[in-house]
Amino acid sequence: MPVAASAIYFLNLRGDVLINRLYRDDVGGNMVDAFRMHIMQTKELGTCPVRQIGGCSFFYMRISNVYIVIVVSSNANVACAFKFVVEAVALFKSYFGGAFDEDAIRNNFVLIYELLDEIMDFGYPQNLSPEILKLYITQEGVRSPFSSKSSDKPVPNATLQVTGAVGWRREGLVYKKNEVFLDIVESVNLLMSSKGSVLRCDVTGKILMKCFLSGMPDLKLGLNDKIGLEKESQLKSRPAKSGKTIELDDVTFHQCVNLTRFNSEKTVSFVPPDGEFELMKYRITEGVNLPFRVLPTIKELGRTRMEVNVKVKSVFGAKMFALGVVIKIPVPKQTAKTSFQVTSGRAKYQASIDCLVWKIRKFPGQTEPTLSAEVELISTMAEKKSWTRPPIQMEFQVPMFTASGLRVRFLKVWEKSGYNTVEWVRYITKAGSYEIRC
Amino acid sequence: MPPPVQSQRSPSPSQPSGKSEVSDLKLQLRQLAGSRAPGVDDSKRELFKKVISYMTIGIDVSSLFGEMVMCSATSDVVLKKMCYLYVGNYAKVNPDLALLTINFLQRDCRDEDPMIRGLALRSLSSLCVANLVEYLVGPLGSGLKDGNAYVRMVAVIGVLKLYRFSSSTCIDAEFPSILKHLMISDSDTHVVANCLSALQEIWSAEASASDEALREREALISKPIIYYLLNRIKEFSEWAQCLVLELVTKYVPSDTSEVFDIMNLLEDRLQHANGAVVLATAKVFLQLTLSMSDVHHKVYERIKAPMLTLVSSGSPEQSYAVLSHLHLLVMRAPYIFFSDYKHFYCQYYEPSYVKRLKLEMLTAVANESNTYEIVTELCEYAANVDVPIARESIRAVGKIALQQYDVNAIVDRLLQFLEMEKDYVTAEALVLVKDLLRKYPQWSQDCIAVVGNISSKTVQEPKAKAALIWMLGEYSQEMQDAPYVLESLVENWEEEHSAEVRLHLLTAVMKCFFKRPPETQNALGAALAAVAERVVNPPKQAVSVFADTQSSEIKDRIFDEFNSLSVVYQKPSYMFTDREHRGQIEFSDELGNLSIGGEPSENVVSAQRVDENDKDLLLTTSEKEEASGLSNNGSAYASPYDNSSASAVGSQTRAESEISNPTATGYSSQSASLGIEDLLGLGSPAAAPAPPSPQLKLNAVAALDPSTFQQKWRQLPVALSQEYSVSPRGVAALTAPQALIRHMQSHSIHCIASGGQSPSFKFFFFAQKTESSSTYLVECIINTSSANAQTKIKADDQSTSEVFSTLFQSALSKFGNP
Repeated sequence: MPVAASAIYFLNLRGDVLINRLYRDDVGGNMVDAFRMHIMQTKELGTCPVRQIGGCSFFYMRISNVYIVIVVSSNANVACAFKFVVEAVALFKSYFGGAFDEDAIRNNFVLIYELLDEIMDFGYPQNLSPEILKLYITQEGVRSPFSSKSSDKPVPNATLQVTGAVGWRREGLVYKKNEVFLDIVESVNLLMSSKGSVLRCDVTGKILMKCFLSGMPDLKLGLNDKIGLEKESQLKSRPAKSGKTIELDDVTFHQCVNLTRFNSEKTVSFVPPDGEFELMKYRITEGVNLPFRVLPTIKELGRTRMEVNVKVKSVFGAKMFALGVVIKIPVPKQTAKTSFQVTSGRAKYQASIDCLVWKIRKFPGQTEPTLSAEVELISTMAEKKSWTRPPIQMEFQVPMFTASGLRVRFLKVWEKSGYNTVEWVRYITKAGSYEIRC
Repeated sequence: MPPPVQSQRSPSPSQPSGKSEVSDLKLQLRQLAGSRAPGVDDSKRELFKKVISYMTIGIDVSSLFGEMVMCSATSDVVLKKMCYLYVGNYAKVNPDLALLTINFLQRDCRDEDPMIRGLALRSLSSLCVANLVEYLVGPLGSGLKDGNAYVRMVAVIGVLKLYRFSSSTCIDAEFPSILKHLMISDSDTHVVANCLSALQEIWSAEASASDEALREREALISKPIIYYLLNRIKEFSEWAQCLVLELVTKYVPSDTSEVFDIMNLLEDRLQHANGAVVLATAKVFLQLTLSMSDVHHKVYERIKAPMLTLVSSGSPEQSYAVLSHLHLLVMRAPYIFFSDYKHFYCQYYEPSYVKRLKLEMLTAVANESNTYEIVTELCEYAANVDVPIARESIRAVGKIALQQYDVNAIVDRLLQFLEMEKDYVTAEALVLVKDLLRKYPQWSQDCIAVVGNISSKTVQEPKAKAALIWMLGEYSQEMQDAPYVLESLVENWEEEHSAEVRLHLLTAVMKCFFKRPPETQNALGAALAAVAERVVNPPKQAVSVFADTQSSEIKDRIFDEFNSLSVVYQKPSYMFTDREHRGQIEFSDELGNLSIGGEPSENVVSAQRVDENDKDLLLTTSEKEEASGLSNNGSAYASPYDNSSASAVGSQTRAESEISNPTATGYSSQSASLGIEDLLGLGSPAAAPAPPSPQLKLNAVAALDPSTFQQKWRQLPVALSQEYSVSPRGVAALTAPQALIRHMQSHSIHCIASGGQSPSFKFFFFAQKTESSSTYLVECIINTSSANAQTKIKADDQSTSEVFSTLFQSALSKFGNP
């Protein structure tokens, strides 16, 4: 059996129970004490998210200032359990309107109890789809465009919707203006050696959609990925257009995507859920365009002085710019005094994280600002060479740029009433874990 | 971390307000109970909310039961839900009062709103109070027939709840057969999925008691049901898909084309956004192809990319769950991942549980082409802030060095570690250099030069100290001041508490004395005097002669339980779900080390150290049922198949095999011809359903840990001592102990230790009866040049040792037969 969860607990960081729900009798009520004693109060917290205490296994996750703990007594499916927690949190968030933390739980505990009853019965996951649940779990705080209507009078056949074949969309939606928003969000993960060679690099991307469409529309999305283009030119028996094509290492889709059609025709076609959802996720390891290169030189001059020079090159087009660029350059704990010179942005020493933090709000393409800093250290007797030189980390967002080169070629919307739709497409590349060793 | 706030969970003097507030609430509820004034529902809501919030923080509000029930007459759904929640929580402690709720719950079960019907039925079935069971049967029965799918969905789980609470009531009402009907006829997939969950649980629990239940459970994995579910799989919710896929892994297709049909049908599930579905699909693919080695290989290739994606997306906890599975695959087939090593590079801020798995995988996938990159990367981690990870990575470098032929670059790296002047780095590196020198003596010159510069005073850890001393002794000729260093170490004999260090010190002084007598004489004298003064009895060093059979069997079992906790814990489920095995957390860590191989021998033994009371070991009841269930049907399966698929059945069932007579149909030859599959973990092909033996049944999955074995071997008298000849074919087949070990295992006789080289081999076997924990221990010495075998048998139950002996002999005589 995938998961037969015996209980689920929501604890705050002190270990107080915010909410708990016992689904099965096969675990005692003192499970939370066991968790507190064996995990929270020891150094075990954070060493492993799956722990066995006595005959029970505990899966726990920290989300903002809340621990969510699932207790099982059988050989449960771990991946399924964690996915369940993640989905449940997403559901709660969509009910509370964004935040999920201790306060949100305290303010909405009745609602959470209700939801916990619906999403899991006797330890088996049931329906977790916010679109459907919102039709019949309607407390205050539902943030759905039609919530005002449905909470006034209960939808008589809401339960039919619960179990329909197109589980993710209900019928009879009407919008005055039919719009689709498509966001391609990529995060670049990089690990670069101190000598500037790329050790590891990949892009994980997702396509987020916001659909405000009437009726039951059929959508078709075309991308510039290699397999899709090849297939298309095959079908139309004409040579593939020249231009950049990219190779996706792996793709996963929202359940609304017709995977059979994807496999035969290589087109992404689907009946979208209403509102916001994640259409697909992909991963690319080959041919990644890194938006930034970082060239650090860090010299230790004797025991009490360090010289830090960092040059950051933006490699994307000159007309584009990156936003919110933050470069964190680690320095030893015993840093006493720092002085900087930067050609762009602002830098300061942040003792709490032992880093020089260099911020550049707007960073144009094809430029290379530099930072040079002098760091004075308190001389200490003990622990020579104790500094482990953690990597430089970088945060950024580059709008209208995809590190993978992925582009939307077309997005077709077809509905039997034949209305016109407005489509919006945005691209953005963010830093995932962007680490440069030094 | 502050102590848990106990006061919040139980009413205590520190919260005197609790009581007065509860009685306050009681009063207010009473006032509202009869009221029909407008807006009364809103005030009730507020009050109910208060009650529920008290309940949540642990204040006992059970005294309000009567008032809550009185207030429950309302049409407000939210209010009803709160009331249900309250009742569900306190019915158990207040069975008499719970009776009060029956009325309104039953009424609600007939409400015209399906939502209310469903909710009421769910609450009713969750009450778990003995005297209420009779009231549940009626509403459940009508719930299952309800026109609304939501109500049916709830009713199905309600049946399961009833079964768990009172199985006889549930069976007598014939609910299981109704569920069975619903499962294949209901139009709603949620209902179908819940039926499947419920039936699986019910039949598994019943199977021990009734043959019918056993057949029913078999029927769940029969072709029509599986096909029915598979054809509708896309209609199921993602969670139900996991459930169906898990069921499919137990299905045994009749031929390879069927396997391909299923795989083609499920191919697109690997692109599902829900990682749990992807993993479940991967499990189906892996299990279906176990007996088709080349396809199995392709399956690894196919599921690699989706799994790597899952690792790099999602929370660290999720990626840990997937990474554990990937870890299992990497350990089974490292060659598939040779070019993906970069995926296992650690990020600086990753949690250490992720890093640890990655380090092991990096070690496993190292080969000639990528060693340089991997070792370079591992060296980066040696300076990691996280000391345990730094140590692990140094050890990883050492392991790679011992695996590889081209160790040139690695030796340099290790020597650089010695110069890093960090205590733990030096300590780990010393141990590795010692191991390296034992394997590659040609590097001694380079190493000794560096090791000679290390002051013995800075080395504190016993293992490292012992390594350093070993090198001082071994290379005393080359190391100028070896005798003097040793002498100063001997002078501090009293302060040295580690037996290991003392032992090495003594040997090293001895070695040194033979090479440089005049300089060492003093030290040796002092050392001997110290030893004589206080006879040191270092704990016995365990040797690695204990065969790896148990751990390989364990690994196969873990593989069978892919996509479950077993993989994360790296131990089969019986070890953590069986009551007797609980609470041995350290076990898993040891086993983790084991799986890489090349660990020092002590770890191997400690990894196999299982609790004393584990003599009967192994099967949880449900597994037993499952096993016997399959073997019962085994004959039905076996006939139309060719050999290879039949052995697949055998391996999947892990059945308690029946052996005794000479009919076991040449499995040894099969296992030889299926050698490749064996590598992929087919494990022991259990014997085919043979004509029944009256004599003795052995447990095919018996397990015994070495220390228990040793203990028993010491305690028990020899029951039988025999000598017989080995057939020439047997002699020919016995080139290495492993061949015989595998053969005997297929006869449910397990090897715990083996050793020797041609022509003389020595084995220690053990076997267990299925029905009891009675164990047989065998010492067997086989001489291939004289073609005879000497056995000594010891048994818990002396009376059956004769029978066992014949069994053993017949098993042995079949060794080498085609």
